[in-house]
Amino acid sequence: MLLSSRVLDICGGVVLWLLLRSSLTLGVESDINCLKSIKHSLEDTYGYLNSSWNFNNNTEGYICRFTGVECWHPDENKVLNIRLSDMGLKGPFPQGIANCTSITGLDLSNNKLFGPIPINISHIAGFVTTLDLSSNNFSGPIPANLSNCSYLNVLKLDHNRFTGQIPPELALLSRLKQFSVSSNLLTGPVPNFNASVTKAESYANNLGLCGGPLDACVSSQKNSRTVIIVASAVGGATVAALAVGVGLAFFFRRVSVRKKEEDPEGNKWARSLKGTKGIKAS
Amino acid sequence: MEMAERLISMISAFSFLSLILLFGFPENVSANTEGDALNALRTNLVDPNNVLQSWDPTLVNPCTWFHVSCNSENSVTRVDLGNANLTGTLVPQLGQLPNLQYLELYSNNISGRIPEELGNLTNLVSLDLYLNNLTGPIPNTLSKLGKLRFLRLNNNSLSGTIPVSLTNVSSLQVLDLSNNNLTGDIPVNGSFTLFTPISFQNNKFNPVPPSPPPPLSPSSPASSDILYPMSSLVS
Repeated sequence: MLLSSRVLDICGGVVLWLLLRSSLTLGVESDINCLKSIKHSLEDTYGYLNSSWNFNNNTEGYICRFTGVECWHPDENKVLNIRLSDMGLKGPFPQGIANCTSITGLDLSNNKLFGPIPINISHIAGFVTTLDLSSNNFSGPIPANLSNCSYLNVLKLDHNRFTGQIPPELALLSRLKQFSVSSNLLTGPVPNFNASVTKAESYANNLGLCGGPLDACVSSQKNSRTVIIVASAVGGATVAALAVGVGLAFFFRRVSVRKKEEDPEGNKWARSLKGTKGIKAS
Repeated sequence: MEMAERLISMISAFSFLSLILLFGFPENVSANTEGDALNALRTNLVDPNNVLQSWDPTLVNPCTWFHVSCNSENSVTRVDLGNANLTGTLVPQLGQLPNLQYLELYSNNISGRIPEELGNLTNLVSLDLYLNNLTGPIPNTLSKLGKLRFLRLNNNSLSGTIPVSLTNVSSLQVLDLSNNNLTGDIPVNGSFTLFTPISFQNNKFNPVPPSPPPPLSPSSPASSDILYPMSSLVS
């Protein structure tokens, strides 16, 4: 009994070990597809990718030698970081990155990439700790979904054409140390980051950002509201005063008319006094 | 007169020889320490592929051995024994290589514990012991490695907790502790803010408590210009 259970244990251990070894390489196939898809979706104007990203070689860890690709381990095709800064690349955000399931760093800065950031960015690169998309032609809104990339330490979106408001949810990124959206077309209030994360320069050169280290936000709607309230208060007071004045005028007029009716020859008292004087004289 | 001359020549010969003995060999002695250390490793490893065949301890230093690299002062900077079909154990003497920068012992079948003495390798940049059969804890002495950039201990049978002092190693760039038997909490401060669940998967860590979503302002400000005091956005 003891022996057979021991044999079972050993067999189980061997199977587990084999599974573990193979689970390492499960990430491999998808990572190769990830890089193939990136190369396919981007126009490589200087030919840098073309020369280095050669998928014909099949030795272990060969993608780790590609320009701009850093692997978790030198002999395993598992992508850790992709750094393709300043490579003259043109095209939309390469959604194929979703197949690099272990990627933690993505730097596509200083290229000619355009279009929006995918709305579901956290499903494409959810574990990313550095995301640098600066100095491109990206447009559209900054997706609120970025707030689900909770491991972000560095988020650089400056020098693009992003519009709309910075999602306030970005303030939820608890590990964020560096955030920049300068030189875009953004408007509205900035998220409530810790003071150490952003300075005024992080927001410079946009269309109408306010709040945080910038000037306080003042909305035009709020302004007109106040004016309306004040105006109506003043108007109401004026009308009330006028009504009181008119009412008083009527009242006093009435009083004087009644006095004349009671005393048609007027000065009754004065006459009575004069009458007494006349009787004495004759 | 003859006796005196003999005496003088004897004394001068003796002092000359002793001077040579005193100052002639110090470099060889220190290089031998490193050679001895590596030889101790060789003794504790089983090497079916004979990759350590060139490791001759009678040589003046180990810099001519295959898989060993030295700097211009004949001090060992790299040991590259990855994927060499080695079994056996590591040795504490590995800590006696003060200029070692790369210790590459990955993808073998080495068992036993990680020697605490590895914490003495203050110039170490890369410690790759992944894909072996190592057991026992991660020594907290590793937090003394102030230049360490790559710490890859994945795919072993390491147990115990992650030494919190590792968060003080600010040079760490790549950490892989996945596929072990580690327990306890995963640190999230210091250098560990850079590391994601990928570095820790397939262990027995305490589950990360889900942080309750902080209340946001009731209406989305995206559609109107109405504003609130900034302090109410995140509590």
